[in-house]
Amino acid sequence: MSLIDFSKSEITFKVVYYGPAMSGKTTNLSWIFRTIPEKVKGQFTSIATETERTLFFDFLPVELGTVKGFKIRLSLYTVPGQELYKLTRKSVLKSVDGIVFVADSNRDRREDNVKNLEDMFKNLADYELPDIPIIYQLNKRDTPAIMPVGELIDDLQLKGKHVYLGIASSGVSVMECLKGITREVVSKI
Amino acid sequence: MEGQLSSLVITKEDIETIDELFSQYLVDSQAKDIILLNKSGELLAKSGMVTRDSAIAVSALAAGVFSATNELAKLLGEREFTLTFHQGKETNIHISLVDPLILLAVIFDNKAPIGAIRFWAKKISGSIKPVLEKMASGPRQEPSQDLRKGLQDEIDNLF
Repeated sequence: MSLIDFSKSEITFKVVYYGPAMSGKTTNLSWIFRTIPEKVKGQFTSIATETERTLFFDFLPVELGTVKGFKIRLSLYTVPGQELYKLTRKSVLKSVDGIVFVADSNRDRREDNVKNLEDMFKNLADYELPDIPIIYQLNKRDTPAIMPVGELIDDLQLKGKHVYLGIASSGVSVMECLKGITREVVSKI
Repeated sequence: MEGQLSSLVITKEDIETIDELFSQYLVDSQAKDIILLNKSGELLAKSGMVTRDSAIAVSALAAGVFSATNELAKLLGEREFTLTFHQGKETNIHISLVDPLILLAVIFDNKAPIGAIRFWAKKISGSIKPVLEKMASGPRQEPSQDLRKGLQDEIDNLF
């Protein structure tokens, strides 16, 4: 649910990074946090387990700049990817404006990608949000046992969708995905 | 199905009314901070010493806690829990549902007894409700065509 605040001349969008466990969702947010200037970012809040796996969510507010006198702000969230946290994942998705689905390109994660994508669409249907903009980042393209892009696209039925090839750990396509989803969510206002 | 939420629009007049109410209640209740947020975790208004940055983070976390608590409610066969309360050594926070989309978080120090916290949270909630109803039913201020077009044209320049 975008928030249009005429008193502060601000528009805020909620963007959620979704995907299976260890696919690189938090890595995307960490890269954004490290890359963007100090003055435009808020507190990076992370609720993680002792082994630094996301337990609830990560949260990063970002101020992009001003358009026609309105400040454009993004609230970036990640969800915990592990099967165990299915309900937590659903709760973070509430009132989302746009999603970056981070898939793991490794062949042995094939099933996790598909299951997680199905889980996302089910949650969106439950919240009656079928037309939410979604872009897809096929991450970890630098690891040895990856699936070819075409196969991954077929597997996840992504033909004709916005797909980016990523290596989030070194920033490849991180900002492009952020820009892509921002463009999509503002078009819905 | 759990209901789609459209854009929430806040006008200058809405915020002025809410700020005025909160300032008064901050004095009367001796709360440290009062924060109004929506269920998706966006900060709508705040009063007290809390900085805007902290209030933004508190809002995201409070909405997350509330939302997770409600998944718990459903598992227990309850439709929804309408409030959640956390007690610390120095600080307490009371988060309650004001209307289907809006939450109120009131932060007190440890001097306030639980009964007083619940009383004030309920009172503030009751006062803010008509303002929120007016917000929902009043003429909706829409972003201008100029702004919509500007967003499309200029978004690339922001990166």
